Amino acid sequence: MAATRRLQKELNDIRHSGLKSFRDIQVDESNILTWQGLIVPDNPPYNKGAFRIEINFPAEYPFKPPKISFKTKIYHPNIDEKGQVCLPIISAENWKPATKTDQVIQALVALVNDPEPEHPLRAELAEEFLKDRKKFTKNAEEFTKKHSEKRPTD
Amino acid sequence: MNSKSETDEASRGSEASSSNNQPTPSNPKDHSVPVLCADTSTGKSKDVMKRAAAKQLIERYFYQLLDGCGNPNCDNRFCASSGEARNLTPNEAAAEAIKLFYTEARLCDTLPNKVPRTEAVINSVCATTPCATGTTRNIVTKDGDRIDYPSCSTSRFMDKFKPDSSQQEDCKNVRHNNGAPLTEERIYELCDECLETKKPQVLTRALGEAFTQPAILARCFQRKLREGDNGNGGEKIDKKSNAMCSSSDPDKDVDSVAGPGLDVASCRRAFQYLANIVYYANMLAGVMESNTMREEPVVIASQLDPLGDALDHLYPLSSMKNLKHTPYEDPLAIELDINVLDARKPFLPFEEFYNEPLSDTIEMDIDLANCKTEIDEIGNKFSFLKYPFILTAATKSLGLYYENRIRMYSERRVSLLHAVVGAAPPMPFLRLKVRRSHIIDDALVELEMIAMERALDLKKQLVVEFEGEQGIDEGGVSKEFFQLVVEQIFNPDYGMFTQRQDEVTVWFNPTSFETEAQFTLIGIVLGLAIYNNIILAVNFPMVVYRKLMGKKGSFEDLADWNSTLYNGLKDMLEYTENDLEETYYQTFRICYTDVFGNNLFHDLKENGDDVFVTQENKREFVDLYADFLLNKSVETQFKAFRRGFVMVTDESQLGTLFRPEEVETLVCGSKNFDFNELEKSTEYDGGYTSESQTIKDFWSIVHSLSLEDKRKLLQFTTGSDRVPVGGLSHLKLVIARNGPDCARLPTAHTCFNVLLLPEYENKEKLEDRLMKAISYSKGFGII
Repeated sequence: MAATRRLQKELNDIRHSGLKSFRDIQVDESNILTWQGLIVPDNPPYNKGAFRIEINFPAEYPFKPPKISFKTKIYHPNIDEKGQVCLPIISAENWKPATKTDQVIQALVALVNDPEPEHPLRAELAEEFLKDRKKFTKNAEEFTKKHSEKRPTD
Repeated sequence: MNSKSETDEASRGSEASSSNNQPTPSNPKDHSVPVLCADTSTGKSKDVMKRAAAKQLIERYFYQLLDGCGNPNCDNRFCASSGEARNLTPNEAAAEAIKLFYTEARLCDTLPNKVPRTEAVINSVCATTPCATGTTRNIVTKDGDRIDYPSCSTSRFMDKFKPDSSQQEDCKNVRHNNGAPLTEERIYELCDECLETKKPQVLTRALGEAFTQPAILARCFQRKLREGDNGNGGEKIDKKSNAMCSSSDPDKDVDSVAGPGLDVASCRRAFQYLANIVYYANMLAGVMESNTMREEPVVIASQLDPLGDALDHLYPLSSMKNLKHTPYEDPLAIELDINVLDARKPFLPFEEFYNEPLSDTIEMDIDLANCKTEIDEIGNKFSFLKYPFILTAATKSLGLYYENRIRMYSERRVSLLHAVVGAAPPMPFLRLKVRRSHIIDDALVELEMIAMERALDLKKQLVVEFEGEQGIDEGGVSKEFFQLVVEQIFNPDYGMFTQRQDEVTVWFNPTSFETEAQFTLIGIVLGLAIYNNIILAVNFPMVVYRKLMGKKGSFEDLADWNSTLYNGLKDMLEYTENDLEETYYQTFRICYTDVFGNNLFHDLKENGDDVFVTQENKREFVDLYADFLLNKSVETQFKAFRRGFVMVTDESQLGTLFRPEEVETLVCGSKNFDFNELEKSTEYDGGYTSESQTIKDFWSIVHSLSLEDKRKLLQFTTGSDRVPVGGLSHLKLVIARNGPDCARLPTAHTCFNVLLLPEYENKEKLEDRLMKAISYSKGFGII
C-alpha cells in the first residue's frame, strides 16, 4: 500500500459519502498526500460558481494537520490572493488528530458561505463586507463569474 | 529579609538605649549593630524602621505569652515558660502583647518560638526531605509519583504547602529548636527525628528559626555571620548556601571575620547534607524519566603519545594527565541512582537553586583549584564546583574557561618539552590555515588530518590564519572563522543539516551524502567553539544537547523538536474513548518525508502495517515513533557528530557541571530578542503604515516590554517563542489594521505571522488590549 491506512480510508469514505459541497475529488495514486476537489458553496455571492482547492497532507498525518489552499481565485475576506486560508480547525494550535478530513472540508465550506470579517486575511475586503455589504456582494459576484469554475450539473 | 531583620534589631537597639527603663537585652547583636543603624535611620526610613521594630517586639511578646521562652527556670511573669502567665487564646495573647509593648514589659533573653515569616517557603523546600533522607529508594519514587505536577511554579508550590490547619496544629505541638543554635549534630538529630516521625516540621521550623532570627543565626556553628551581605536572598536555599559560603571559606571571604571557635567543617558537612538532599528531592518530586535511555558512551581510542607519557614520569606536573580523573560523583546521587539528565521537569525550576550573590562573588580560579586538588588530598578542600547546581551558568562557564586555559597552557608546555628533547616538531597551538574561498573544504581537510593523526592537538589553543591575510589570531580571527564555517555548514543547501518546515531549528539530514567523518568534524567544530569560548549561531533543538550529554531523545523531546507533531501525538495519548482504533486508524507503519520531498515509510515494528494502535499499545507506539525520529533515523550521523564533540571535550568537566540547557547557552549564547530589527522588517497591511499613530504606539509599548512579555508576544503572533535563524528580522511579521476602534482584542494568524490590530483610540487602550491578548492567549485559543 502506498499510503497510511488512515488516509486511504478517509479517501474512500469521502468518495462514498456523496458530499454535495465537495465534489470531483482527484488524487494522484502515486501521491495520496495531495488531494484536489471542487468546493460548491450554497450561499450568495459564491453560489454562482465552484472553487478548486488543494489539500496537502503532511507525511506525519494525522499527527500534523493538513494544509488547504485555493486553486481558484476567490473574492473573500478570509482567503488571500495567493489562495491561502487560515482555518482554525487545522491550525497547529487547535489541530486534533481525531478530526476527519470531511469535518475539515465542512468547516471550510461553512467559512466560504459565511465569511468571518472579524478575523480577516484581507482587511480591505473585511471592511467592505462590514460597511457596504451591497458593494461587496456585487464585487464578489462579478469576481466569481469571471474566475470560478463551472458548478457540476448533477 | 535578612537585612530587614537587621534593621529591626538595630532600631530596637537604639530604642533600648534611649529608654532606660527597659531591661537591657543580652542579645549580642545589639552591641554591634547601632553603628550601622546610625547612618541609615533618617527621616522617613526611620519611621518605617520604628514601625517594623514595634511590630517585631509585639510579635515577640505574643509568642512569649503563647509558647514561652523555653527556659524552664524562667521567672518572667509575662512568659508562658514561667508558669505564672495564664493560658491565653491567640486572640487574647495578641491583645495582651500590644499592652505589654506599651508598658515595655520584660522580654525574656532567649527568643521564643516565633513563627518564621518565610514559613511557607521553608516548609515547601524541606517537605520532601524526610523521604529523600531515607535512602530507601521505593519510598522516594513513591513520593515522586505522588507529587506529580506537570507545570510547577513556585507559587503553586507554595500554595500546596501552605500549612493547613492540621499542619498548624502540628507546628504548635512540635518542640523545635527552642532558639538553640544549630550545630552539625543538631541537624543530624533533627533529620533523624523527621525520619522517624515522617514529618518535616521539626527540621523546617528549626532551620526557619535560625535563618529568620539573626540572633540565633549568629550563634549557629559558633560563628558570627555578617547579616546583610546576603543581599535580599529571600529564598531559603539561598541563605543556606550563603551560610555555606561565608562560613566554609573564611580565608577566601575577605569580608567575613573569622569568629572564634568556628567549626567550619561541621557546618559545611551539615549543609552539604541538606542542600544535596533538597536538590535531589526536587528532581525526584518532579517528572522523571527512566534512566535506561542513555546514549552509548563514546570511547575515544586511547591517543598514543609515548613521549608524552615518558615525560609525565619525569615532570609529573607538566602534563594534563594529572588533571585527568574520574568525574566526581555525589555519593547520594549514586545511592539514589538519579542523574540530572533524567529530570524532565523538576518540582521547582532548576533556576531556583542558583545562588546569584554567591555566583557573583565566588573566585572561580581558586574554587577550580580547590576542586582539582581534592582528588589528591583526600577531601580537605571545599569547592563549590562540586555543587554545580547552586552556581549560575555564567559562573560555571567561567570555571570551564579557566579549566580549558589551564589545559591549553599545559599542552603548550608539553609541546615545548617535546621540542627541547628534540622529538616531534613543536606544535604549541592548534594551527589552521585556510583559504577564505574554500573555507569549509580547507578547514575540514585539516581538522580531519589532525583528528586522525594527533587528536590531542585538538586541545591546544586554536590559531586560525587566512591565507594571504596579515591578521594574527588573538581571538578575532578564529571568531570569524567559526562564524563563516557555521554559516556554511548549516546552510540547508550544504546538505548536512536540514531546515525543517515550520520549525526554526535545524536537524541532521539522515540522507546526507556526506560521510561520517564530515559529521565528526562538525562535532569537533562545536566542541572547539565551547573550548575556545566562542559563541556560534546554531539553532539546534534542545534534544541535540541532551543527546550530546548522553541522554537519548524521547517523546518529551518532540515538544521542542516539532511541537505540532508532539501535540498531535499527545492528543492521542489523552484520547480516552474506546474507538481509538477506528478513529485514528493508525498502524505501526509511519510515513516521513526526506529532504527531497519523497514520502518514505517505516515500520516501527515487524509487520507494522498490520498492527493497529490501540488504547493498550499507544504509549509504545509514541515511544517507538519518537525513538525512530530522534535516535534511530539519524543514528549514524549523530554518533559521528557526538564522537567529534567528545574528542574535544572529553576531559573537561562539561558533563558534570552543566545541564543540557546550560550547554545550549554556552554554545549559542543567550537568545536575544532584538525588536528593533523586527520593527525595521515589519510590513503593514489594511491601511496601516509605519507612520500610523497606532503603529508608533505599538512599537513604543513593545520596546518597553520585559523579555518575558516579548517572548509572549512572539508566541502570540508566530506560535513560537524561538528566534528564527538570522534573527528576528527574518520573521516577516505583518501588522494589519482590523477595523476602527472597538472593544475587541488583537488577534493573530500564526500561520502567516499576521497580527490583527484594531485602530484603538489611544495608547492606553492599545497597551491594555495587547497585554491582555498576549497574556491570556493560551486560554482563548487562536483563530
